[in-house]
Amino acid sequence: MADSLEHIQKTKKLYLLIGALLFIFTGVTVAVATVPWLDFGAHGFDAIDAVIGLLIASFKASLVLLIFMHLNHEKKLVYQLLGMSVVFAFVLMWLTGWAFEDPLEYGDGTKAVGTGFYNPPQLNEE
Amino acid sequence: MEIPYTVTARKDTGLYNAKVGIWLFLASEVMLFGGLFSGYVFLRVYADFPWPERALPVVPGLINTFILIGSSVTVVFAWAALKMREWRKFQVYMSITLLCALIFLGLKGVEYSAKLNHQAVRMKDFVILEGHTHKAKMDSHGHFKAIHAGGHASLPEDDSKIHFVAAESEDSHSEHGGDDHSEGGTKYEYNQVVFKTEEVLVDLEKFYDPVIRDLMVQAKNQGCEITLVGDYSARSSVDQPVEVLAKDGDKLSLSLLKKLRHTYLEGKSNNAKIRTAQNRDGWARLRSKDDYENRPSYQIKDELELNPDFDKHIVDLTSSLTFKTSKPCSFVLSPRKVRESATKAILKDGTGLFGSMDAHASSIEMAADAIDFRFVAQRAIEKGIDPLVAIENTWLIQNNPQVAELWKKHIVHIEEKAEELKKHGYGKDGKPKRVPTDTERYRMGWQDLVNIGEGKTVKGVMSGFAGPNHKDDYAKHFPEILVPREEVNLESKFTPRWNNYYAIYFLITGLHGLHVIGGIIVLGHFLFFGKRIYVKNPEHLANRVEVGGLFWHFVDLVWIFLFPILYLM
Repeated sequence: MADSLEHIQKTKKLYLLIGALLFIFTGVTVAVATVPWLDFGAHGFDAIDAVIGLLIASFKASLVLLIFMHLNHEKKLVYQLLGMSVVFAFVLMWLTGWAFEDPLEYGDGTKAVGTGFYNPPQLNEE
Repeated sequence: MEIPYTVTARKDTGLYNAKVGIWLFLASEVMLFGGLFSGYVFLRVYADFPWPERALPVVPGLINTFILIGSSVTVVFAWAALKMREWRKFQVYMSITLLCALIFLGLKGVEYSAKLNHQAVRMKDFVILEGHTHKAKMDSHGHFKAIHAGGHASLPEDDSKIHFVAAESEDSHSEHGGDDHSEGGTKYEYNQVVFKTEEVLVDLEKFYDPVIRDLMVQAKNQGCEITLVGDYSARSSVDQPVEVLAKDGDKLSLSLLKKLRHTYLEGKSNNAKIRTAQNRDGWARLRSKDDYENRPSYQIKDELELNPDFDKHIVDLTSSLTFKTSKPCSFVLSPRKVRESATKAILKDGTGLFGSMDAHASSIEMAADAIDFRFVAQRAIEKGIDPLVAIENTWLIQNNPQVAELWKKHIVHIEEKAEELKKHGYGKDGKPKRVPTDTERYRMGWQDLVNIGEGKTVKGVMSGFAGPNHKDDYAKHFPEILVPREEVNLESKFTPRWNNYYAIYFLITGLHGLHVIGGIIVLGHFLFFGKRIYVKNPEHLANRVEVGGLFWHFVDLVWIFLFPILYLM
């Protein structure tokens, strides 16, 4: 707890700056999703839009974590706790994917079409 | 008891205790919301229906994002003010934070209520209609009359949601005598199956009290009597004489049914005992034969001989009772609790109603603010059919000239849009790089309907804040559609029941909303009851506010992901 008064006074400006950044990037997210000439990839929503949207969200989230939640200078224990939960959160993310990983295989070791998370059912489009 | 390390740090952790506590809690929260996001991905990747992409109104979500970010800044300022020992500033910043939280919840409430007051119908050929269904009201004669908001001087109290002007079609309503909106009768939402019943079949074994009671009340309100057809006689064992338990013309009542059920079940139990004894006897004789002792049952079961003497002890039982109504009696039934056809309706407890369905009262009348053929197109593509042909052949296009006309104009609009998008160039395969999305192609949203209706692209159509705009002049472009009950597959509001998207939407945002409420309670406690701690040891309160603030930042963090995922993707 080495937060001296001068230090706090200084960081208040930083907080304002971060707040402004968060506002701006929220606007950017909406613009990327709605303004036609900022539309990346194919017309309308697609995978690239999802990646861009999530990247901006992650950037905003890391600003909140590092500055507002003081994770830029925290004790070791906190990082250990968080690291563990992040690992578990990722495991949870993939758990549903694994649930769909159907072990059905043909005799020659190839998988049936449309039986896995990485092998989703295909629509026979024209 | 004094709680240790509230102000100073523990040597081994380097932190005061509350901070370890909050980080442990937040770690568990990361996993909770992580699991829910995982569920979202799962539902979306494997959705077997067109996912409602960018379906929510963006503006309220955007405002809420700004509000939460703003409150995150003020909560950290409140903590800084405590560190500087400025009580007054702390109060101001914390008040702003709480105000932001309340505005957030208010806006969320507006969004929720827009969803919950908006109806959708999925037809059997996968056409989806969204809009506002009319209300119907049963008068004292058991008749229904649709109430059109525009056409009457006296609007029903809750009619604020229905603002279209409907053309009163004289033919369909004039046959119904009731016209009184102010007295008698109950108001129903226009999602109901109304069945004119002449005969009621009750299953003694399965009937469920509330269902029967509901029928009895509805019959009583309409002044019709439900009476038994033919005598019902039964006995519980052959030792007893056959007794007439209910006579022809007895009124339907729960006590009567329960009495009959009692005898019926006793008789059934008697029969079961006799049959068991008969089987035991047969098997005993079979096993006693030479060489049959050790052979498995399935080899010898065909040789089983039952002693017919036992049959004399079996009593005759009927579980179904037939009642008739003194006059055709209109029962209002929830579509979820009945399987209906033109001549009969089977309730969930097996009670059967025979007569005829009131096609007018059972149909759904709605001012459609969106006509969605995406599901039709998806199913058609799966089956290798041209989606446009499939859409042309839907019930709606075939039977509703107005919608057919709209659809024709919409196709022209889309072709224009496709031409316009060609300016982005062509890919290597010679196809345009950019083409209209499925949503643009197959869905006529309310903005599209207005554009078609006005004959040009209308600027400022975004005036619908949390949903389709039924209030302004635009509503006159929303077609009136009458959907007969037999074409309806599912009618719902935009609730978890409608589809998986709304299920996960309400689940995650609802849980997030609960976190906001939790934050309000904790931070409000510091604001209104924190002075005592502040006077005693200001550093203690600063630490508590820091911990509460960490939770509040986390709530903000979750929303930072929720907003793009639910509103923009």
